[in-house]
Amino acid sequence: MREEMDMPARRQNTQVNRKVVIEVKGVHKKYRVYYDKGRSFKEKILFQNRNKYEDRWVLKGIDMSVKTGEAVGLLGVNGCGKSTFLKLLSRIMYPDKGTIRIEGRVSCLIELGAGFHPDLSGRENIYTNAAIFGLTKSEIDERLSDIIAFSELGECIDNPVRTYSSGMYARLAFSVAINVDADVLLIDEILAVGDANFQTKCFRKLREMKAKGMTIVIVSHDITTIEMFCDQALWISDGVVASSGKAKNVVEDYKQYLNGKLLDSVETMEEAEEPATTEEKTTEAIPTEEKTKEDVIVEETTTEAETAKAEAADGEATEAEAAEEEDPNEIDYSANRFGLKYIEIVNVVFRNKAGKRIRTFIEGEPASIEIHYEIHKPLEEYNFGMGFYTADGELIYGVNTQLDGISVKLDDTKGYIVFHVEEMQLLTGQYFFQVAVVDINAVPMDYFRKYCDFDVVSTKKAIGTSDVKHHWDIHPKNSKGDTKE
Amino acid sequence: MNIFVEIYKYRQMIASFVKRDLKGRYKASVLGFLWTFINPLLQLLVYTMVFSVIMRAGIKDYYLFLFVALIPWIFFASSVSGGAGCVVGQSAMVTKIYFPREVLPISYVLSNFVNMLLSFLVVFAVLIVAGKPINFLALLYLPLIMLIEFMLALGLAMISSAVSVYFRDLEYILSIVVMAWQFLTPIMYSQEMIQDETILKIFMLNPMTSVIIAYRDILYYGKVPDVSTLLLAAGMGVGFLILGFLVFGRLKRRFAEEL
Repeated sequence: MREEMDMPARRQNTQVNRKVVIEVKGVHKKYRVYYDKGRSFKEKILFQNRNKYEDRWVLKGIDMSVKTGEAVGLLGVNGCGKSTFLKLLSRIMYPDKGTIRIEGRVSCLIELGAGFHPDLSGRENIYTNAAIFGLTKSEIDERLSDIIAFSELGECIDNPVRTYSSGMYARLAFSVAINVDADVLLIDEILAVGDANFQTKCFRKLREMKAKGMTIVIVSHDITTIEMFCDQALWISDGVVASSGKAKNVVEDYKQYLNGKLLDSVETMEEAEEPATTEEKTTEAIPTEEKTKEDVIVEETTTEAETAKAEAADGEATEAEAAEEEDPNEIDYSANRFGLKYIEIVNVVFRNKAGKRIRTFIEGEPASIEIHYEIHKPLEEYNFGMGFYTADGELIYGVNTQLDGISVKLDDTKGYIVFHVEEMQLLTGQYFFQVAVVDINAVPMDYFRKYCDFDVVSTKKAIGTSDVKHHWDIHPKNSKGDTKE
Repeated sequence: MNIFVEIYKYRQMIASFVKRDLKGRYKASVLGFLWTFINPLLQLLVYTMVFSVIMRAGIKDYYLFLFVALIPWIFFASSVSGGAGCVVGQSAMVTKIYFPREVLPISYVLSNFVNMLLSFLVVFAVLIVAGKPINFLALLYLPLIMLIEFMLALGLAMISSAVSVYFRDLEYILSIVVMAWQFLTPIMYSQEMIQDETILKIFMLNPMTSVIIAYRDILYYGKVPDVSTLLLAAGMGVGFLILGFLVFGRLKRRFAEEL
């Protein structure tokens, strides 16, 4: 497991007047993994050893507390247990240890239209589906027109559901789930369906419901969604909470982890890539147009297109956030990534002496670190800095362009600067990389406390973090073996 | 107790399930819903042929004697053996949405129950046509015994539906068990044919024995059933229902994983 998972839980959103509607304490869940499962009588009797199973703990102690009207995003890579957690919240499954307490009616969108009957009409399915959420007939009658209106199905509502397109199907299912007036809505990765218009509408509706006091839990791989929509987030990794707290901070922690994973995969992927020319060992600014090998760079996980899409769906919030970011006093220095973003660090690439992308440095060899930036609001001068930290968070070495007496003035809006390591002197171990760009007065523009992990391998057997250039000299004075005075 | 409040909240779901099941039962058949009535009539015809013409049983109006017991038995048998599949058959829903799982066996048994009530229209029609005197005082006990049988059938259906999630063979095993059970219950014969006192006592342990006796007392003999018969039936009905809820409540926790 990686070190950043031990990041301290960030301070909870402090809204005292709201009551806790979801309270999760130390939830554990195991699955039985059968080596070779026999379900039938014959198999149970004849092959008793086939019934051997192994307990696999998918959740190992999750705590969560959500207040009325909050939206919580669940993040994590595939198989981390977040969908299982959502199933526990929705009571489809029960925890093996720990408690979950939810107040009020829970509506869930774990799979759209589960329980739809293909032969029944849309209208009839509204009744059966809403009944599944625990509504009575009169309650459904009240909501029927709202549901139909929201689904935009118009006259198709009386056609059998099997004739619907997947988009129509999704719209109907979403309309029902959102109109049951639940106190808690659980959503699993389903907002990707439907066209952009409908998605925007869904988010508007969700925001409206949230304002009315509905609590929402969303599982999504789309971190932009979570960053934009959720107040809180929970990053689950290997069944434990790797980070939790303010959505923005958790998303940054998660992104930083993904950066590390990305470098990992790129390293293996590009093993056979062509070597690039070694550059001069100075800190320099190179405009983007000149770079050739950059075409193969895998961008940071949030692509511009995604951001743009989310912004379209989320106009007001983005503006609000932008306004918040304008004021240096508003910067949340506790976050992993913070700053005014006049200039943004979009990517960092490590290369070995042959120019191949790497994630593992070899001690004693030259390497280079490219810091790719993008300028949104030009400043006269910039100060780029970086640092190597031990996995425990101890600074080993840190420097910036200002300290090195280099003045960085950038004309092009995109480009990268290179930090050339003449000889990597860290010893074998895992470290993390900090990178930042600040203005001339040290006001943070884009500051990553932890950008990613990296490893160093060394043939040296010395202990510690850093090599010291040395050699030993032994001077026997006489036959007794005394050393030199 | 919470579970009963919750089930009550989900009554609409139960209603729509029952409706869907009844509607869907004879869907796409030419005669459609009429089969609900034709089916017991045809059965009656077969039994009359066999027992009044070929194998004489020596019981007056044997076809009626059999018929008033057979209809309740069919309800019970189909609830218990068919009920085994009612959770497994809805695996798509169980793994994806939350609802009190009890809804599934309840609606399954309920739809069978409604079906039995409809068959009873045929039973009454036959009784009237056959000119059997109807004791209205005894008829007052009919809803009671139906309720008792319902509890019994639901309790057992809950057990069979929950267990068969973990052990799929149960459904097939049950069809044989239920057939044997039918012969061990005085449906085709009268409990008076059992001479041995001890065997009769063992027979009375079969919860369906007292239920069938009560049905037959009310409809065939036109008399109020014995209090002891009713008490025994009611006791077992309540007992099995409680057991059913307990077993189901315990086993339902891992439904989503096993399905």
